[in-house]
Amino acid sequence: MKRYAYYLSCINESMTKEVDRSLELWQKDLELDFVKLHESTCCGGSNLDYVSPKHFALVNARNIALAEKLGLDLVTSCNTCLLTIRSAKKKLDESPELREEVNGILSRESLEYKGTSDVRHLLWVLNEDVGLDTIRGKVKVPLTNYRIAPFYGCHILRPSTILGKDNPLEPSSLDSLIEALGGKTIAYEHKNKCCGFHTLLVAEEESLDVAAEALGEAIDTKADFIVTPCPLCHTVLDGYQAKARKQANIKQSIPVFHLSEMVGLALGYTPRQLGIKRHIVT
Amino acid sequence: MGEHKEEMRDVTFRITRFNPQVDNKPYFDDYTIPVEKGITVLRALNYIKEHVDATVTFRAFCQAGICGSCGMRINGISKLACTTQVWDELPRCRVPNVVKVEPLRNMPLVKDLIVDMDPMVDKMKHYANWVESVMPEERMGEKEFLIAEEEFQQYDKATDCILCASCMSECSILRANKEYVGPAILLKSQRMNVDSRDGIHDKRMAALVKDHGVWDCTHCYRCQETCVKSIPIMDAIHGVREDALVSRGVKDTSGAKHAEAFMEDLPKKGKLVEATLPIRTNGMVWTLKNLLPMAFKMIIKRRTPPPPPLVKPAKGLKKFREEFNEMSEHIKRDRKENQ
Repeated sequence: MKRYAYYLSCINESMTKEVDRSLELWQKDLELDFVKLHESTCCGGSNLDYVSPKHFALVNARNIALAEKLGLDLVTSCNTCLLTIRSAKKKLDESPELREEVNGILSRESLEYKGTSDVRHLLWVLNEDVGLDTIRGKVKVPLTNYRIAPFYGCHILRPSTILGKDNPLEPSSLDSLIEALGGKTIAYEHKNKCCGFHTLLVAEEESLDVAAEALGEAIDTKADFIVTPCPLCHTVLDGYQAKARKQANIKQSIPVFHLSEMVGLALGYTPRQLGIKRHIVT
Repeated sequence: MGEHKEEMRDVTFRITRFNPQVDNKPYFDDYTIPVEKGITVLRALNYIKEHVDATVTFRAFCQAGICGSCGMRINGISKLACTTQVWDELPRCRVPNVVKVEPLRNMPLVKDLIVDMDPMVDKMKHYANWVESVMPEERMGEKEFLIAEEEFQQYDKATDCILCASCMSECSILRANKEYVGPAILLKSQRMNVDSRDGIHDKRMAALVKDHGVWDCTHCYRCQETCVKSIPIMDAIHGVREDALVSRGVKDTSGAKHAEAFMEDLPKKGKLVEATLPIRTNGMVWTLKNLLPMAFKMIIKRRTPPPPPLVKPAKGLKKFREEFNEMSEHIKRDRKENQ
């Protein structure tokens, strides 16, 4: 059994609860144990870093220190949490002064940021720690006959200086996972492009254009569904899909699954168990 | 010949062609030429122009990655033709052995691989991206402007920009709206804003926080990832935002309100209160008009974020709040010391 500290992302606690629900169903099947960090807080969602760089460092030093206290790596199912917490980690690891200041404050809770825990995405854990061969062996209902369009999302790929796993120009980790689960992965230009989430409330029309381009291309390739490792991408591609398609005059719809749901399907869980019925597009 | 054979091969270049005087829309022409290992895409284009088809049109000058003239999309990615090796592109070809060469995106196409750079130049002007000296005209020349090392470090990387427009071509938002300021302009604005010799920060910032300005960036990092000079462009964009919020207190835009919500909610709940985020960003009227129809669907699917009182606070919130506030005190103290 491999253990990880599991970071609770705001959105997975509210709008996309099915992400963690699915993960809970199958984690033991892949001999994974995700210990939920109930004390963890919002990472600042790719905004706090410029609103208040010091609070950004403090909050995420604390999030990581909670995992370090357990001696475990910190794992998240959200791309933006991944990038945000990793950015903070980089700043902390590069600055002894910042570490000292932050640790002085964290001593109130007897926490200390040491830099010993890595910050990782669920997709990376599946690829690197479980391994595709093991996953292939555990598949109960192979996703044969499904043409699946992987949508990586920005913050698991870029900037490569902070993320550095997949080649952002030619990412493959999600494609490989789809194939290990028996599905057919679709090659399309938008698989490593943007969903527009972070400007939805600020520049909605632009955001929906960005989303519609990706949706349109995935639909054109005759994919059966899109899969994404990011709940923010899911929120745009699923929740805002009707609005985006209307704006871009795209008639057909396409379901969008979370990474943890796709794995769950292949491991034999039903769409109902996985919460897929909660999606807007079904 | 024998020992050089494997260093030489025929490669097809699939090049965008468009002559506005005769063509309704762009199309591709294929040119297959012998290419030696070590040859750049620009040299291949020159070969085609000299030996195969003199009408193929592109812009190039220095051939050394300095002038920024030969920005184009090679196998789908915006970069400089003069610093891109054909051999490096071969494994990236969608169709084996066919290198696709297209003009930059997000700018008007002039001919073949040439785009109109004027919109970018116009935006540089619109956002006043030059240093207007803090020194009055009559006192010019009285003393030197000495720039401290720490200040220079802040814009050292930004001065590497050669205005090739690769970042503008890759920008997700610029693709959706050509009015958007764009990464190259934001980079330059931040470079000017942090320059102590400059006296028009406020004028520049006033334009940057308006519609189609700095708040419309969607953080996709495509600009930074494709920058041919590896400039951390997003740091500059975040720098402009931090400057707007913290130094200049420009907080009355939807972008600023959206960003500040994270800071507001953290000490209260330790979580982002998503349900009220649209209202806090854009007000009640906008929220009702734009999100109500979607909200109904979401309620049916039980996907709506919980209202503020029902947001489960992070465990151990009290201690966290104390720490958060202690950091606020640190920041206040540091500001005082710096005054």
